[in-house]
Amino acid sequence: MHRAGTLPAGARPAAAPQREGEEEEQGSAAHAPLPCRRGRWPGRGGRGAAMAAEGGAPPPGRGEEEEDDLGYRLFPDRKKKPQSFLVRSLFTFHNRCQLMLRMSLETKIDCGNVFLDPYAQLLLAAMKQSGCTVFNDRHFSCENCDGCVSGGFDSATSQIVLCQNNIRQQSHMNRVVAHELIHAFDHCRAHVDWFKNVKHLACSEIRAANLSGDCTLMNEIARFKFGLKAHHQTCVRDRAIRSILAVRKVSRETAEKAVDEVFDACFNDLEPFGRIPHSKADARRAYKDFLNRDRYNANL
Amino acid sequence: MAGGESWRPPRPCEDYWWEWRHCRGLRHAFHHYYAHGQLPACARWRDDYTACRAWESGRAAAAQEALCKSERARVEEKQKYAPVWTFRKSPPPEWYLPLDQDNAK
Repeated sequence: MHRAGTLPAGARPAAAPQREGEEEEQGSAAHAPLPCRRGRWPGRGGRGAAMAAEGGAPPPGRGEEEEDDLGYRLFPDRKKKPQSFLVRSLFTFHNRCQLMLRMSLETKIDCGNVFLDPYAQLLLAAMKQSGCTVFNDRHFSCENCDGCVSGGFDSATSQIVLCQNNIRQQSHMNRVVAHELIHAFDHCRAHVDWFKNVKHLACSEIRAANLSGDCTLMNEIARFKFGLKAHHQTCVRDRAIRSILAVRKVSRETAEKAVDEVFDACFNDLEPFGRIPHSKADARRAYKDFLNRDRYNANL
Repeated sequence: MAGGESWRPPRPCEDYWWEWRHCRGLRHAFHHYYAHGQLPACARWRDDYTACRAWESGRAAAAQEALCKSERARVEEKQKYAPVWTFRKSPPPEWYLPLDQDNAK
């Protein structure tokens, strides 16, 4: 079966504590494997943020590949048959992944508190409004991944892949889900050429790093990257470049050039949030504005 | 702008007040500096709130016009850059296809 989708994968070191901002390998299905500081992923062509968060160096031997596998090497389970229920339940983290995914996506009311992650809540509502209703069992898949990737979006199957062996904390899951949903949202609303157009890939990565909370100050500090004045933009740029290098067989100069060319347009494209959400409160406010959009547009 | 008697401010006046208070807060100032390298300008939210309340109390046409102009300027600022990709008119056809059919491609 040929999977031509881009597979951005969020690569995140499995053992990294509280490393929400860890490089996420966003794999575009057809991209080169994501670079991972801890070791290459053989994988499907996914664009994944380099698991090697800090380093971000292209994995050794990347240039030795003859063909661009579009990042699929990072997601070997994509080409395998599904495991049996018993094996999957007893010997993998599949159930934990599914449980954390449900915590991210579903609304729970407990003593009047809503537990849904507001990032996911807004993205799901925006995608539904765009005509792409997301179904948990169809559009999400918990699988084992290689290397440090945390997840990816496979545009060939319209699925978000979550790396059950690398996502250990709920906060990490929330961030990966938000990141991949942004890719899915872009796929839903625009003709994104994940495979052939590096600028399209760069644009989606810039938006995902900008809006998913990848580049918050605390996440950057956890990666030992310090900066204050406009550091958010530096982080977004670096993570986008790293993601492109992870899943595409292009030179660093090409990736940097693509990111620089589209940075202004894509950094300022804040759909569907309308603002850069620096916290869950910002995301909740953005959701409230989203619900008000009909009134807003009608009374301009 | 949708004029006439059916017009009402694009956002509730409480939203303008909230945005102004939020903009002036320390947390937002920090985040804005972290993201953009400069401190935010909040006076516009205050002006919008004033115009909103003026319209609510007296249905002033000037207040309506000022509010519309301000919000339209906000929309134009967001559309300053040409989009990188072309937008779809309908969702991708394979979005709802069962996985087996997708795999067969």
